[in-house]
Amino acid sequence: MNEFMEKKVQFKWHEPKKHYDVVIIGGGGHGLSTAYFLATRHGVTDVAVLERSYIGGGNSGRNTTVIRSNYGIPEAVRFYQRSVELYYQLEAETERWIMHKQKGLLWLAHTEAAVRAEVARAEINTAFGADTEYVTPKQIKEICPEIDLSGGGAWPVIGGSYHPAGSTARHDRVNWALAEGANRRGVHIHQRTAVTGLLMDGDRVTGVETTAGPISAKVVLSAVGGHVTTLAKMAGLRLPIRTHPLQAYVTNHYELTFNPIVASTSLLFYVSQTARGEMLIGAEIDRQPSYSYNSGHHFLQSCSFRAITLLPFLRNLRILRQWTGVCDMSPDYSPIMGKTGVEGFYITTGWGTWGFKAIPAGGEQMAQLIATGQTPEPIAPFSLDRFANDRTLADRGSAGTH
Amino acid sequence: MPELKRLPATRIVATPAALDAAKWPDGTLALRLASDELLVTPPVANPALDDPHAIIIADAGYAGVWLPEAEALAFLERACEWELPVQRPAFAQGAVAGIAAKLWFEAGRVLLIVPAPLIADFEERMA
Amino acid sequence: MSILIPCPHCGSRPIQEFVYGEIPAVPDTLTDPDARDLDRAFMRANPEGVQAEAWFHLYGCRRWVRLERDTRTDAIQSS
Repeated sequence: MNEFMEKKVQFKWHEPKKHYDVVIIGGGGHGLSTAYFLATRHGVTDVAVLERSYIGGGNSGRNTTVIRSNYGIPEAVRFYQRSVELYYQLEAETERWIMHKQKGLLWLAHTEAAVRAEVARAEINTAFGADTEYVTPKQIKEICPEIDLSGGGAWPVIGGSYHPAGSTARHDRVNWALAEGANRRGVHIHQRTAVTGLLMDGDRVTGVETTAGPISAKVVLSAVGGHVTTLAKMAGLRLPIRTHPLQAYVTNHYELTFNPIVASTSLLFYVSQTARGEMLIGAEIDRQPSYSYNSGHHFLQSCSFRAITLLPFLRNLRILRQWTGVCDMSPDYSPIMGKTGVEGFYITTGWGTWGFKAIPAGGEQMAQLIATGQTPEPIAPFSLDRFANDRTLADRGSAGTH
Repeated sequence: MPELKRLPATRIVATPAALDAAKWPDGTLALRLASDELLVTPPVANPALDDPHAIIIADAGYAGVWLPEAEALAFLERACEWELPVQRPAFAQGAVAGIAAKLWFEAGRVLLIVPAPLIADFEERMA
Repeated sequence: MSILIPCPHCGSRPIQEFVYGEIPAVPDTLTDPDARDLDRAFMRANPEGVQAEAWFHLYGCRRWVRLERDTRTDAIQSS
């Protein structure tokens, strides 16, 4: 029993005001984190977080909770490393048990090209402050004895990278800890309050129209997952975003401890064990854009086939439940954060399949942007105008399952 | 389980009207892969077609096996996620055990056709 | 539940037999050539609702199927 467990999360609910300094659309991880860092780091508390359902009830509640910083380009390694470090101190800072657990992350390579990519990843991670090393099949077997190194004869493991900082946390608890931390300092959180439009004064965004009436604001931040295109369109913006479903599932309880997070760069799946002992398995996005949360049997079949190829013990487990979230995919597989060119309107989007791990750093950086009006250096490369300026941040190989 | 064998064929791309009107020797199977495409087996030399732009090529890329209808249906019903044709004869194509297959149904027997490079995979999945 | 795509030649088949093909559309209001290029390369309508799209029937007739799909429900509206 952890001492943090005994403290109940306390929220204070308010009637929506007519005006806030900052309105954040979307009460998921990134929206709540931005509110939290605004309140704790900048003393900005005249903030409303608007959530159409319940906090963490959208795609923040549908992800597979992997935390890591083993990215492939300097800008991303530095950013995600900051996020990993913030995660490691989040329990102490918020005094809430987010069930953060260090597990170590194994990325398996099955081809010469993948081996070269993982060697390069280890080098670039080391150079920019993340801890990743190249590992041989023998070392892989020591880290994860359950792996069939022959890959069922068809997908032999010939190398990989190991990222010891790789960890997981409970997504609901992350959302609650951040929400409560912000709320306690005066941030208003409005659940069941959907944004139906943006208030515009000429080209400028001056607030939001909601199911609880209009709310004006100096700054409006879109921190939504899945509906950002529709929202941005109201501000006259077209975004480089396509929204795709991502499916995942858990098995029944596996009685032994399976410590690492294992992913295969060729077989396109990843596996970890939840705190309940279930084996959590995810894969790549569905190829067609969609906002639907439909799940399919075909996914279970193909993903299980691939997972069993490397981890034969999974064969004896049974599938307990499956679910689907939607992912805002950017063309270069990097997030889009910052100013939009529309005054008063900021976005944090393009979180694809890598949003959860970025919650603390994304919120920290967006909070600094909102508080100071200046784009912080770490997220300057991730701005929306990079597409017009020929400065895309191609990092598809680090999305894990693409 | 009988083995899949190479299925020499002729592939023809021509206007739908030309393909509709074409005549084939007895014992020839002409499978309509698309409205403007036929797979003819055994191969035919210089078919008469009312289309000066028809493309006619030898196609050695397929393998096939004839199965008794009951045996074929027992396999197909668990290997297909789509409805099998009930009339005979009938042609159908789609994923069979995850492999792009073509099926020719006659009274009493069924021809299964798969891409030749996938013979071993397909036989493994049939077993 | 697999989404079924109505192929006019082969019949209804599970979505996994097909390859998704987007039909990109640059808004008519974009007349500046650079802005059009940028939009065509990167920007997406990504509608929440019905969109026209093409699907290649890789496992069957190997032809493109044109249809309309509602991205909120995956319901296929027409073929």
